[in-house]
Amino acid sequence: MSSPPRATDISPESPRHRGVEELCEEFVAVCESAVHPLEIAGALEFDGWTDHALRNSFGASDVFTLAEVMYRRVPRRPAEPPPQPDLWRTTRWRPALHSLLYGSPAVCFTAAAGLLAGPGASTVVIVSLLVSWALSQGLAYLGYLRLGSGVPGQAERVLLTALSAGLTAVLAAISVVSVVASAGMPVLVFGVAMGSYMLGATVLLVLGAERQVLLALSPGVLGATAFLLLGRPSHLEHATWATLSATPLLAVGLALARTIRAVGPVRWAKLLSVTDVRKALPSAGFGLVAGGLLLFPVAVATPAHGAGSASALLALLPLTLSMGAAEWLLVWFRRRTQRAMRSTHNLRVFASRARLLLAAAVLQYLIMTMLLTAAVLAVVTGSRMLHPHWTTLQQIATYLTIGCSLFVSLLLNAFDSRIVPVIAGTAALAVEIACHIRRLDNQICVGMVLLAALAAYAAAVLGSAARHAS
Amino acid sequence: MITEGTYPHQFGGVSVWCDQIIRGMPGYDFHLVALVGTGSEPVVWDLPGNCSLTTIPLWGIPPASPRKGQRGGHRAGQRRVFPSRLVHRLIQALLDPPLLDPPLLDQAKLDPSTHAQSRFADVLFELFSYAQQANLSSVLSSTRAVRLLSEAWQDRWPHAHQLMPTVHDAVTALQLIEHCLRPLSHAPVQADVTHVSTNGLGALPALAAKWQHDTPMVVSEHGIYLREQYLHSPSLPYRWAVKELYLGFLRQLCALAYHEAETIAPCNVYNRRWEERLGADPARIRTVYNGVDPANFPMADREPDKPTISWVGRIDPIKDLETLLSAFAIVHEEMPQARLRLFGSPPKGREPYLERCKEMVTELGIDDAVAFEGHTSKVREAYQAGSIVALSSVSEGFPYSLIEAMTCGRTCVATDVGGVTEAIGDTGLVVPPRNPARFADACLTLLGDEELRRKYAAAARARALEFFTIDSAISKFDEIYGFLAARHPLPSVEAAQ
Repeated sequence: MSSPPRATDISPESPRHRGVEELCEEFVAVCESAVHPLEIAGALEFDGWTDHALRNSFGASDVFTLAEVMYRRVPRRPAEPPPQPDLWRTTRWRPALHSLLYGSPAVCFTAAAGLLAGPGASTVVIVSLLVSWALSQGLAYLGYLRLGSGVPGQAERVLLTALSAGLTAVLAAISVVSVVASAGMPVLVFGVAMGSYMLGATVLLVLGAERQVLLALSPGVLGATAFLLLGRPSHLEHATWATLSATPLLAVGLALARTIRAVGPVRWAKLLSVTDVRKALPSAGFGLVAGGLLLFPVAVATPAHGAGSASALLALLPLTLSMGAAEWLLVWFRRRTQRAMRSTHNLRVFASRARLLLAAAVLQYLIMTMLLTAAVLAVVTGSRMLHPHWTTLQQIATYLTIGCSLFVSLLLNAFDSRIVPVIAGTAALAVEIACHIRRLDNQICVGMVLLAALAAYAAAVLGSAARHAS
Repeated sequence: MITEGTYPHQFGGVSVWCDQIIRGMPGYDFHLVALVGTGSEPVVWDLPGNCSLTTIPLWGIPPASPRKGQRGGHRAGQRRVFPSRLVHRLIQALLDPPLLDPPLLDQAKLDPSTHAQSRFADVLFELFSYAQQANLSSVLSSTRAVRLLSEAWQDRWPHAHQLMPTVHDAVTALQLIEHCLRPLSHAPVQADVTHVSTNGLGALPALAAKWQHDTPMVVSEHGIYLREQYLHSPSLPYRWAVKELYLGFLRQLCALAYHEAETIAPCNVYNRRWEERLGADPARIRTVYNGVDPANFPMADREPDKPTISWVGRIDPIKDLETLLSAFAIVHEEMPQARLRLFGSPPKGREPYLERCKEMVTELGIDDAVAFEGHTSKVREAYQAGSIVALSSVSEGFPYSLIEAMTCGRTCVATDVGGVTEAIGDTGLVVPPRNPARFADACLTLLGDEELRRKYAAAARARALEFFTIDSAISKFDEIYGFLAARHPLPSVEAAQ
């Protein structure tokens, strides 16, 4: 080589006298998918084409001019993007496990009947359930919100603070109610323990630690089951209560351990803001109203029907179990509506498909809950644990309408419509209370009206594609 | 200064540049506005004392509505804007003129005076005014907005068409625009000058400051933001209509930023082509080359014993190591004692590329002559490890690795992309990209001629010290800031360059 080439005399490897046609062919994928001539210009440059090289080969003044020619020449036939990962994938065992986790504490109630004999027991239990449902709904909302933001450690932080605050609230509320209802110490301890378990288990469930909830439940559930199977021998009563107490302690302990480990050293002041509390309020309100609707029949039942006995709560068991099914159906509804969004071009068509899916979801929930009710009845009626009042057709139908209403409310909550379910539920509860005072028994009518109202509202809201933004 | 996904949360060329400017100008107070993902990214740079930081997350939980009386975005006498009308106008500005229709293509040329651009500017200003007082995010994610976009699309494709967007596309497109526009909901920064480190979404806070406080703006550019977005486009998980709307938004935003900026300060002359194409006024473009601190890169004293090619950078497909490796295989055949040393590591997610490169080395049978040295903190020694320094990239802005190597007195062989020819000038060899044969030729020429190498090396260092020092970059920005803060137009010097 006699004289070194200089940076300034660049030419392509050989003057490639090719037609633009050939270049279009080479860049056909880019041209077909391009949204603007500049996108083709970028691709040409990326491939090493400079203005200089293009001038030599095609006589185009620059990359941009040639890109425009190519954009015009090749019609748009973009490739579809590859299928996206399914955000709502779930396994079938998870909802079943959740059903089990929600339902199994029922055994503990039955075994603890001896503890809850004193005055004011049912009041304390009902208040404890109401408070802890309200708090755990609010807590779960905050937790999921932070999990959704994708910032590691943030969900744990907010859960830890909310858990501490929730435990304090449960303790305070139960203490006050126990004094007012002149309940004994065992009842107070049971109420606090139940509330604490609910909060601890909620934290663990939000964090996806089902196994730890199972671990926490096992001593109480196994102890209680053994106690019941042995025919409630009185000498084992205290031992059983000891195993029962292990469950809330474990649940709270595991929840604290899991959150504290992830949190690390942080400033406590910034953990739970006023905005957070305000955001959690509708969810907490929903927990309270849902609890009110479910417990109202128990609270107003006459002593002859087993009121005052905690075993009346067994009547709620089918609905408790059905919450696992509700979670699964929620995911089913999400996946189906996402699919419908990708396959429809018209908003009206989408709206009617979404409404059909909503109806299908509610119907599936109803069928599953009826099956669960039948199963529970088969077991409970045989063992005579439940007063026949709770197994009348009317009572079962009442619970089914409330269950469906709660399912629709959960769907609405999941699509960020949280206020209307609370208002509707509160109104229904108010009507039920008013009717009860006037000695009218029309819980089933109220339940049906509530269901119809919520379903109509859901059909309106969930028909809007904007709600389905993922 | 405004950054997007770079300083102070990420490492890389743009971050180095930001850090150099802020540290190099202790006489100025910098307020850094960093557009980030979720807002939880850790700050990985030590911020200098003259710099404060605001982060604007584009993702995660949307910004809350401003409280009444908190912001002053409303200009006196401005008419009330109805949100759905605003969304309608935004959609019209983004979809029109329809590029699909070839006869209309000519109208779509990006002339700053076109109707389309001024309409986009008006809409963006209205969106800003609205976002300062109310919740823009909720407007853009409303049922109404989805319906407006759907209808607009249906007007465009009244019949079944392959491009026909789905309901999902409408929702996705609006979500993207909502995230992009989040900076408009934040209170504009008050400063004497806003400096946008890269065009694109970073221009939004600068435009906001301009509208609110009449702050002059400088737009810098390393790679071309828009070009990089287009190159990235095939990997976006969206359908065509969504991409068209999203990239159309970014294109119009970039064009508007060029139009509104008092000064455009690209890091190389090559960038001007794209800037002018997007309607930038050539008189306002003032190239400011990246610079290095010569104290960190002293003249290398001696060459390695064996003829060695050194490469320094991120192991990334954009660096086109395939060409370098194929070229080296040719070099090795002619000059069996030649060695190739690659310094650098792959960024997260690019590890398979490194593996591919290693496999290629084995296939080419040059295992004994090629060494992957991994990441090095002693970059200077990496340049000195080579008799020459190579850069085979398919896209570059104004690569630090070249000007650092030149400052060390190393001759470079590089591909003709971005600002490479401007950096090397006639102190090294530049060859077309993706051309191993030419690349090998250039390497062999230099490796085989010590005298030529020495001549180039001295020239390279002289050139770097003259044009590409940090001091020279800083004094140029000092001058620009001074003129803009005093509201004087910058004297035109570009013609002389």
